[in-house]
Amino acid sequence: MKSLAVRHIAFLTLAAVSVAVPAAFAKQQAKPAAPAAAKSSTAPANPNFVKAIGNPSAPITMEVFGDFQCPACRGFFETSVKQVIDDYVIPGKVYLVHRDFPLDMHPYARQAARLANAAAEYGKFEAMERALYDHQDDWSAKGNIEEVMAAYFPASEFKKFQTFQSHHMSEINASIERDRAMGNQRNVNQTPTVYITARGKTEALPGGGVDYKLLKSYFDYLLRQ
Amino acid sequence: MATTAIPTETTPRTAAWPRALMAIGRVALGLIFLYAAYAKFHFNGGWHFGDYQFFFAMAIDSYNMLPLNAVVLLARFLPILEAVLGALLVSGLGLRWAASITSALLLVFIGAMTRALILHIQIKCGCFGNDEPLTIWTLLRDSSLLVLALAVTIGAFLLKKRQGTVSS
Repeated sequence: MKSLAVRHIAFLTLAAVSVAVPAAFAKQQAKPAAPAAAKSSTAPANPNFVKAIGNPSAPITMEVFGDFQCPACRGFFETSVKQVIDDYVIPGKVYLVHRDFPLDMHPYARQAARLANAAAEYGKFEAMERALYDHQDDWSAKGNIEEVMAAYFPASEFKKFQTFQSHHMSEINASIERDRAMGNQRNVNQTPTVYITARGKTEALPGGGVDYKLLKSYFDYLLRQ
Repeated sequence: MATTAIPTETTPRTAAWPRALMAIGRVALGLIFLYAAYAKFHFNGGWHFGDYQFFFAMAIDSYNMLPLNAVVLLARFLPILEAVLGALLVSGLGLRWAASITSALLLVFIGAMTRALILHIQIKCGCFGNDEPLTIWTLLRDSSLLVLALAVTIGAFLLKKRQGTVSS
């Protein structure tokens, strides 16, 4: 009798365990995964839309508050920034950061900034910036930015920029507004406005762009310190 | 036996007020120039004795008037010249030279500013640091400084002439 009772208890225990363990395991598997981001399931990988070129650890950081429809910004980019990229950014001496500061007087500046932000998401900010400034005359009159820019990127790549832009419009606009707020805090009142940070100190350069040779002499001085 | 000049009906009496006005004018002008020099060495919250010339060169270059070599030279020496002129004006030493050079300098500044305004070049003045935009008010202010400088210059020459007349 005693051995029968023990066998019954053992059997019941085994039955209970064999039911309970799979049930618990199944329940764990059915538990929904925690959401990756509170915003959306397709949140951008670069939520701050950093539009920068070069090594963030470079000894000098150059921030440019710019407006893609601004002729002075284009002039500064063509005559100075391109050379800065070649001579200082690529060798790792300067980290170049673009801050969006679209001016109200330029009706298509925000549209251009949104496209640049979308391109930055795919690591194509530099290419988009060059294309926007190089061909500013082609799009700034009528605002047909996407039509003009599409010619300078592979179709599949440009489609990604457009899709991303349409799906993340609010995040992109927020990023532009963050840059503008930063500029307003620093009393930026014209574009381009340049800030140079080196050895923990940030200096504002005279607004309106700077001749490359003067920038070069200042960078060389900072690098010698 | 030495004689001293006694003011008579035929010799001019040297009034005190022109000298007082001259002193006020030259000291005011001198302090303004000292401040202009200070603003080129101290900005963005700190002193820039080692790199002031880069920022001032960028401000001068924005006028698009001079070749780069001249810009660099001017950027290095003009703040020092302003400080020296300011000190001379305040102290009254070498007044005719200091006031003349100050007047000439202001004339050049006003010419450059006028040209920039006519060409609608949107730049910073560079007069008292990097932040002041160039406007018609900047021009009017510097024009009034030129009037003061010319008055001090003319006054300095007249006073020297009068001193020469009294002592002869």
